Amino acid sequence: MTPHYELFDHTADLGVRVRAAALAELVPPATEALYAAIGEVVTTDAARPWTLELRGDDPAVLLRDYLAELLHAFDCGQQRLTDVHVMEFTPQRIRVSGKMRAVDPAASDFAREIKAVTYHELAIRPIAGGYEATYIVDI
Amino acid sequence: MSDNYTGPLERIDACRWRIPKGYKAGMRVDGIIYADERLIHSIREDKSPEQVANVACLPGIVGQSLAMPDIHWGYGFCIGGVAATDPAAGGVISPGGVGYDINCGVRLIRTDLTRAEVQPRIEPIVNRMFDTVPCGVGRGGRVKFDRGELRRLMRDGSRFVVESGFGWDQDLEVTEAHGCLPDADPDCVSSRAIERGADQCGTLGSGNHFMEVQVVEEIVDPQSAAAFGLTIGQITLMIHSGSRGLGYQVCEDAIHELRNVPEKYGIELPDRQLVCAPVQSKEGQRYMGAMQAAANFAWANRQIMTHLAREVFSEIFRRPPELLGMRVVYDVAHNIAKLEEYEVAGEVKTLCIHRKGATRAFPAGHPEVPLAYRQVGQPVLVPGDMGRSSWVLVGQPAAMEQTFGSCCHGAGRLMSRGAAIRAAKGRSIEKELLAGGVVARARGRTGLAEEQPAAYKDVNQVAEAVDAAGISRKVARLRPIGVIKG
Repeated sequence: MTPHYELFDHTADLGVRVRAAALAELVPPATEALYAAIGEVVTTDAARPWTLELRGDDPAVLLRDYLAELLHAFDCGQQRLTDVHVMEFTPQRIRVSGKMRAVDPAASDFAREIKAVTYHELAIRPIAGGYEATYIVDI
Repeated sequence: MSDNYTGPLERIDACRWRIPKGYKAGMRVDGIIYADERLIHSIREDKSPEQVANVACLPGIVGQSLAMPDIHWGYGFCIGGVAATDPAAGGVISPGGVGYDINCGVRLIRTDLTRAEVQPRIEPIVNRMFDTVPCGVGRGGRVKFDRGELRRLMRDGSRFVVESGFGWDQDLEVTEAHGCLPDADPDCVSSRAIERGADQCGTLGSGNHFMEVQVVEEIVDPQSAAAFGLTIGQITLMIHSGSRGLGYQVCEDAIHELRNVPEKYGIELPDRQLVCAPVQSKEGQRYMGAMQAAANFAWANRQIMTHLAREVFSEIFRRPPELLGMRVVYDVAHNIAKLEEYEVAGEVKTLCIHRKGATRAFPAGHPEVPLAYRQVGQPVLVPGDMGRSSWVLVGQPAAMEQTFGSCCHGAGRLMSRGAAIRAAKGRSIEKELLAGGVVARARGRTGLAEEQPAAYKDVNQVAEAVDAAGISRKVARLRPIGVIKG
């Protein structure tokens, strides 16, 4: 299964559904979907290495927490994660590295402000040939 | 998987529908939805009634889990939801019952200007507002506060910014809670939240937030309209915004911190977005302190934008705002939790009232209604959509008896954002609005499409439903002629 995402309707908010063959493969399209929900987020060439490690007991919550970190970096630092490399994603731990790049607001085309990645209908479940992750962002 | 609600909705009367507490395990009280026959059809088309039933499971809930006619699917609580819990009986506070945009709310400003004076200049007015009021994704404000000032702002709310020159003392008299919740505790607000909102006080944001120039087109209750200073043909200004990034992060932090708290107190929840803590627990008190600080930030935010709007009108009409009669009519929160007193089974109790997309609606004589309005009741501000109408209502005694002094907060969404974008394909919403007499400017690429009038229920139906239910009474209908959006 090729990793992919789709945005789906959720009344005033927006839903994201991601499918991939392995847990770790869910992370890059989940990341892309977050930025797609914001709009066209264009970055400059300047980049700095970035790593994140989170521990827990629920892979869906770990994925949400990772996405919340990216949202914080976007909101407070005007930065976007690129070159996402998932070192580990298990129900107990997520480790991701990549390059954090400065957003170019003039070249970007923001569609909407995301307030949060919610816990509402948050899930990762096995499907035929892999996994499906679902999360809802509050607009 | 169907997104429709297929559970029970038992008709009580023309404007109320019951979800019996036997519907699902864990419900402690019934759910009640306020809606007339026309509105209930669209309400069944999403899962918001299921969320009303979920809220009925919260410990310490009193009366019923309530929803107003503008109900639609949210996260945890539905939008349009009202829930009262009794702290003395283990009642909880839930950040999901307030929402991420803490003290999102609406402010109405009246003017002495008439439509005849403003209509010829509406385009420059809207353009000037668009340039002056920061709006859109992540936009920082024109007014900067250092950390010390932000702490005072979170503690003192609107008063701090009025004392800093952004408004008039009388603005505070007509702001819910005078624009300040006294138990706000800036020490409970994380550095992340402060960082996220630091430069956003005095900014509109995006999504459904707006600043709108309106004309009073219909008056239904002349006595209340006179008390509020509203007359036919008059120009008003409406502001809809909240606590921006600071409030979002306070909610995010609280939900994170409360993750394991329900288990600690033996609370079982049907949706983890409903995480909560007993109001009187240290976790509950910490959230209350942070939430109230964010609420004060939101009131200060709308106060600064009031100042900016006054500057725009003053510049265009070459008169000071005082001479333009730009007085605040009222400012109400519609995403908040507050401790208020109600009579329950003959006993006066202090309850924690969650209003998630619901407006306070106190009747005549209530001590928290401003003196100038105490003979008629509290103004209830109900924005509609940018093409049709908004309403000013007035709180009624039945709200105290039935809905813990609460009413609807808007029209309520009818279409999802995606459906609205699809419906707008090949059309220019901006041109359609202009053809309807509304000059609109939006920062975001999809803003006007997602917020197009057809995306919302008809606010006239919503106002009629709460009027018929007796929880608020219609006072005046306002029609937009100019709007800016993020």
